[in-house]
Amino acid sequence: MSRLKLLDSRETVNELLARYGVKFGIYKNNTFHEQLFPFDAIPRVIEADEFEYLEKGLKQRVVALNLFLKDIYSKKQIVKDGVVPEDFIFASSGYMIECEGVSPIKDIYSHISGIDLVKGKDNNWYILEDNLRVPSGASYPMIARELCRRSSPETFLDNKIEDNRDYAKLLRRTMDNVNVGGHAVILTPGRYNAAYFEHSYLAEQTGAHLVNGSELTVEDDMLYFITADGKKERVGVVYRRISDEYLDPMNFNPESLIGIPHIYDVFRKGNVALMNAPGNGVADDKGIYYFVPKMIKYYLGEEPILSNAPTYLPFYKEDYDYVIKNFDNLVLKDVAEAGGYGVVFGSKMTKEQKADFLELLKNEPRRFIAQEVIDFQDLDIIDNGEQVPRKADLRAFVLMADEPLVWKSGLTRFSRNPDSFIVNSSQGGGFKDTWVLSR
Amino acid sequence: MKKLHFDYSMQIDYSENVSTCNYTIKCVPQITARQIPHDIEIALVPPSRYNLGYDGLKNRQLYGKNDQPHKMFNFRISGNVDVGLSDYEEVEDSNLSMVFKHPHGLVIPGPSIKSYYDSLEIDKNSDAYSLAVNVMNRLHEDFCYKPNTTTLDTTAESAFQQGHGVCQDFAHIYITLMHLTGLPARYVVGLIVGEGASHAWVEVLINGKWYGFDPTNNKKVFDEHIKLGVGRDASDCMINRGIMHGGGLHTQTINVKVIEIE
Repeated sequence: MSRLKLLDSRETVNELLARYGVKFGIYKNNTFHEQLFPFDAIPRVIEADEFEYLEKGLKQRVVALNLFLKDIYSKKQIVKDGVVPEDFIFASSGYMIECEGVSPIKDIYSHISGIDLVKGKDNNWYILEDNLRVPSGASYPMIARELCRRSSPETFLDNKIEDNRDYAKLLRRTMDNVNVGGHAVILTPGRYNAAYFEHSYLAEQTGAHLVNGSELTVEDDMLYFITADGKKERVGVVYRRISDEYLDPMNFNPESLIGIPHIYDVFRKGNVALMNAPGNGVADDKGIYYFVPKMIKYYLGEEPILSNAPTYLPFYKEDYDYVIKNFDNLVLKDVAEAGGYGVVFGSKMTKEQKADFLELLKNEPRRFIAQEVIDFQDLDIIDNGEQVPRKADLRAFVLMADEPLVWKSGLTRFSRNPDSFIVNSSQGGGFKDTWVLSR
Repeated sequence: MKKLHFDYSMQIDYSENVSTCNYTIKCVPQITARQIPHDIEIALVPPSRYNLGYDGLKNRQLYGKNDQPHKMFNFRISGNVDVGLSDYEEVEDSNLSMVFKHPHGLVIPGPSIKSYYDSLEIDKNSDAYSLAVNVMNRLHEDFCYKPNTTTLDTTAESAFQQGHGVCQDFAHIYITLMHLTGLPARYVVGLIVGEGASHAWVEVLINGKWYGFDPTNNKKVFDEHIKLGVGRDASDCMINRGIMHGGGLHTQTINVKVIEIE
């Protein structure tokens, strides 16, 4: 009964989402469209014990990734020991020389990690991607839950579901853990950013100030927030939603108009915490993904709890040969691309495309990874009044506070196109709430 | 050993007032096995508070903000440096050495540099030091010094294709060639006796020691060069970087004097 009522609430919720301005900006044919991020009312449900297993695996992975980042920007032991080849670090566009020798507060690099997983038809979960730079999306299930509770309160009385509205508390705890003294702020590039809704929502929920670059200033190796009446007050932690290259025109891209000059110099001196730390791109590109299970063994001496999708690195001769032989069964990904761009399926190429691609692969083997196409489980969605199956993934959020924390929910994204495996919101997909059962 | 006195000044004149300017200057001579600076004096006009620190490559940097309206910005640093104390530098941070082995930014080898390297009639199996010297000799012969034909963003490959450029281009091409031999190499920005501008050369890592080579002058670096900063390429260690609001048109004037004293 209550389940039906929840489904009936879809329209109401989508209307409320629209009214709240829950939108996602996408680029299509080189123009920017702001569109609603369609919500589907059928939740993804994860049993308590299954989530407990995911939680262990996610914590393990994020702890190892943080150790890797610290190692890369200091001793580089994992490279010296031959576990990760030099090429995958120093020729990667994510490696930033400016970050060498800099120690973030408490050695935390990735405070907020968005780990994308899928559940295969074999009932195993596979990690598809780590997002350690500025992962977005937590606000969508938060607000959807809030609105669903409003339109169908009985559902949440009848089902024992972990309350996901505590994300703001976890985020605040993560910010407070590294705050070196002063205000906590959320730095947004502004209202035209694809995720502006999320920035303002998280600021409201955590009690942090929402600021743009012009409201922050650096003086004498300290960061200040300029209040409405012109006073300067010290900032101790910045949850920044601006990418590394635009963060500080004096240290990174000089063309940036949205950054704060010298903010990275303040960070370098340990006088402000930046979350996430700049430089994380070296740990989350698709080439490094291959090495994450090896990192877990290397740094923690443990077997990885969660598996990667079976991945081949054409950089290695053996893998290259495998890729050539099994080309039609594989999905090929350009390591430098993100958001569902630069992904091609061997089986879907024409003869000419395939020949061109093989030539490219031969010349630049380091640029690509190849993966087995995982047959992942469909989730039902309501499409034009009909219940139909669609491909879906799960973005889990792992926060590094005084201890690693996994948010008991997540963003479930689905593809609206029945033939597509690509669920990224930037490719026009929709989202669902993720229910973690409490028993 | 020689004692050098240096005086570097950089002035920017604006046609209109600048309301705010942020600057980062990497122009303080490093203390190394080959050189020891002393009696360093720094002056900024108009005066502004600055902070000192290091960048990711351990280059000394001085940075700050000037938020009083101004139509001129002048930075001056002078001092004495003992040079020629050693003909190499021990690796100061072995963690960073591997960074300098990889193509990056302006030092990515293209087809013309690769085929040039392949065509070089030198003994490529000789010891690393002789190889570095031989490649320098050849590059100095085959590439011409010609100012105002390249810019700060010119890549090694495109400078090499056109056949001429300035010290920055010599250094970039030489780094690229060293990478082709498999040796780590890095860009050095600095000053040299008798030249009225900043200079650029290269350090090559040979058996755990950095040796300096100046392909523009076809010289080994010993007692005429003052090192200010290092990088994978020129953009990692630009002497000055700034952003300003306002200012209209501007002209930049750089004066450098390096003389031997005593």
